[in-house]
Amino acid sequence: MNDIVKTLEDIVGPEFVITSKEQMESYLIDETSIPVRPTPSTECILVKPSDSNQISAIIKLANEKGIAVYPRGGGTGLVGGAIPTKVGIIVSMERMDKIVVDKENLMAEAEAGATLGQLLKAADEAELSFPPHPGDEGAQIGGLIVCNAGGARAVKHGVMRNFVKGLEVVLPTGEILKLGGKLLKDNMGYSLMHLMIGSEGTLGIVTKAFIKLTPKTERTLTLLLPFNTRHEALKCVPKILNAGVVPLALEYVEREVMELSAEHLGEKWIVSGKVFLIAILAGGENEVFSDAEKMSTIALENGGLEPSIAERRDEQESILKIRSNIYTALKPRYGDILDTTVPPSKIGELAEIIDAISEKYSAYIPVYGHAADGNVHSHVMKEDLEKYDKIKEEIYKASIELGGVITGEHGIGKIRVKELYKFLPAKQIELMRQIKKAFDPNNILNPSTVLD
Amino acid sequence: MGLKLIVLIKQVPDIAKVRFDVEKGRIDRSSAEAEINPFDLNALEAAVQVKEKVGGIVTAISMGPPQAVTSLKDAIARGADEAILLEDKVFAGADTWATSYTLSCAIRKVGDFDLIFCGEKTVDGDTGQVGAEVAEQLGIPHIYYVSKINDISQDKIKVMSEVDESSYLLESDFPLLVSVTKDVNKPRLPTLRDKLKAMKAEIKVWHANDLSDVINLANVGYFGSPTTVHKVVIPKEKERQGKTFKDVPGGVNFVLDALEAKKLI
Repeated sequence: MNDIVKTLEDIVGPEFVITSKEQMESYLIDETSIPVRPTPSTECILVKPSDSNQISAIIKLANEKGIAVYPRGGGTGLVGGAIPTKVGIIVSMERMDKIVVDKENLMAEAEAGATLGQLLKAADEAELSFPPHPGDEGAQIGGLIVCNAGGARAVKHGVMRNFVKGLEVVLPTGEILKLGGKLLKDNMGYSLMHLMIGSEGTLGIVTKAFIKLTPKTERTLTLLLPFNTRHEALKCVPKILNAGVVPLALEYVEREVMELSAEHLGEKWIVSGKVFLIAILAGGENEVFSDAEKMSTIALENGGLEPSIAERRDEQESILKIRSNIYTALKPRYGDILDTTVPPSKIGELAEIIDAISEKYSAYIPVYGHAADGNVHSHVMKEDLEKYDKIKEEIYKASIELGGVITGEHGIGKIRVKELYKFLPAKQIELMRQIKKAFDPNNILNPSTVLD
Repeated sequence: MGLKLIVLIKQVPDIAKVRFDVEKGRIDRSSAEAEINPFDLNALEAAVQVKEKVGGIVTAISMGPPQAVTSLKDAIARGADEAILLEDKVFAGADTWATSYTLSCAIRKVGDFDLIFCGEKTVDGDTGQVGAEVAEQLGIPHIYYVSKINDISQDKIKVMSEVDESSYLLESDFPLLVSVTKDVNKPRLPTLRDKLKAMKAEIKVWHANDLSDVINLANVGYFGSPTTVHKVVIPKEKERQGKTFKDVPGGVNFVLDALEAKKLI
C-alpha cells in the first residue's frame, strides 16, 4: 500500500493524497439512507487530481496493482453508487471545476467536478439557461451525467442525457477518449457517449462535458392544484398532458409531507386540500396564463378544489423550497426511497396499488414524485423496516406489470443489483456484462455497481 | 356596516434580483420585476382578515408611475375591493414627507375611514417613516411594528406591538394607522380565478388635478420635499475570502480570534 501512496503522490502532488481516516470520512458515504447503505471499506486512499492525464496515470497504476478505483462527485446519490466497498483509490473530481460558456454555440464546456449550482450560475451570467434541474445543486456535472440524472423538469426538457453533447472520458484502461462534441447531430459509429451517460461510473471517468444551454425563458408561473384524494389528482395528469399543456414541471405532493417540510424550514404550508399537483409553467405572459386556465378547468372538472397561483419570485421560490425540502425533512424518518417509474397514464393505477400495499402492511408510505413523467418516490419508513423487503417487492412488481421500471432516476448503484437481475432478462444482463468487460477487463472501475 | 379599511402599497423592484447603477448611485429598475413591497402583502392580508372577521371594504392606495397599476391589480387579486393609483409627474421625486403628504390628501379625498394598514417599511427605501407620517398628517394615532392582531370589533382593535425588546399589548379605537411586521400573518396566494378577474379590474387613477380640492401642490414631489440628497453611496459587495494556513496552531488561533471578535464565543 505504501508504494501505491508514494506513486499517487508523484502523480497528483503529496497534498492531494489523503490517507487519514478523519479527513476521508465524508468521502466514504453518500446520501443513501443508513438502513440500506453499503458498508464502506476502511482501506482507501483519497486522491484529488487536477486533470485527465493525472486520472489516466492513476487508472494505469490501479490496473497494474489490481486495486479498485472509485470516482467521486458531489456524493448526492441515493443508491450507494459512490461508496467504496473494497480496498481502493477514491478519485475526487472536486478540483476540476472550470466552466466556460460558448454563447455562439449555446454550449457550456464544464469540467466534471463543477457543481450544478456553478453551471446554473455560469449559464445565467451568460444570459442563457440550463433548464432541467436534475438534482441537488451540490451534485457535480460528472455525477449528473454518469447517473443520467432526471429531476422535476424532465417533463418539458428531458433528462441529463438530452443535454449532453460531448464528453471527455478516461477509460478503465487509462486511455483518454473524446466522444461527441459541440454537435447537435453525430452519427459517427455507435454512440459510446450515450453508453457512458447512465453507466454509474463503471465504464469510464467523465472528466469534461459539452452541455447544451438554451435562451432564457421569459417568465415562470407556479400553479397549485389542490385535491381531496390521491386518485383525483393523479387521474388529471394524463388529461393535462393531452390538453397540449407541457409544464416545466408537474409535481405531486401530499399535505402531510408539505407541512412537515415547511415546519422543518420554519415556514407554514397554508393551502387547503389534502394532496396537490404543483405545476411550473414557463413562457410568455399570455401563454402561461392560458396554460394555467386550461389546467385549472381540467382540475375543477375532476374534483379539484380552487387552484391558487404564485407569480412573484419569492412566492414561487417558497413553494419550491418546501417541495424540495420534503427529502431533507423526511430523511431522519425513512428507511429507503423507491424510485419506480411507470408510463404517465398509469401513475393513478400505481398510486392505488401503493395505497392497497400501505393498507395491507399497515405501513405509512409517503408518496411524492414527478407526476407528469410517471416517476414516483414512495418512502418505506424506519418503523416499517421489518416489512421493507415485502413492501419493496410488491411496489416493484406492480410497477413492472404496469410497463414501468424499478428506477427512473436514482439508478441501480450498489443496493439494487439483486433487483436488476430479477427484473431484467438474463440476455440483457449478459450483454451488459460483456460491455463492462470490453471497457474494464480487470473490473477495477467502481466494482459491484450496476453489475456485481 | 363594516369597517372602512385602507392599505398603503408601494411598488418596488424585486430586491433580490435588482442591480445597482454604482456610478449614478441609482437602482436600475429595468433589471428586475416590479412587485408589491413584501411587507405591504402582510398589511393587505391583515386588512383582508379584518374584513373577513367583521365585514368591511378594503381600498388599496399607491403613489407611483403608471406601471404601478399592475401591483394594484395584484392587490385586488389578493382581496382588496378597490384600488387607487396616485400618478402625476409632479408627484415624482418625493421624499417621505412629500409622499406621506400626498397619500394623506388622497385618504382625505376617499373620505371616512376606520383603519389604515401599512407594512413596517419598504425594501427599496427602508426608512419605515411614511406610515407614521401619514398618521401625523391626518392627525390620527398610529401603532407601529404590530406582530399580532389579538382582537378586532366594529369600534376597537387590540394588537401586539414589538418595539425594541419589549412587547406591548395595545388597544385603540378608530381611526387608527397600524404598521405591521412580517410576523403578523402569512399572506395567502391569490386564487387563479381572482387573479384572472383582477387582471381586468379597473384601477382608479388620480392625477394632481383630481386632488385639487384637498392638496397644496407646493408640498408634493421633488420640490415639496424638505430632504435633499447630497450623495448616494452603494456599498461594494464583499466577496468571500479563503485563507490557507500551513501551521495548524496559527490557523486555529486565527479562527478563535475571529469568533471572539464577533462575540460568537
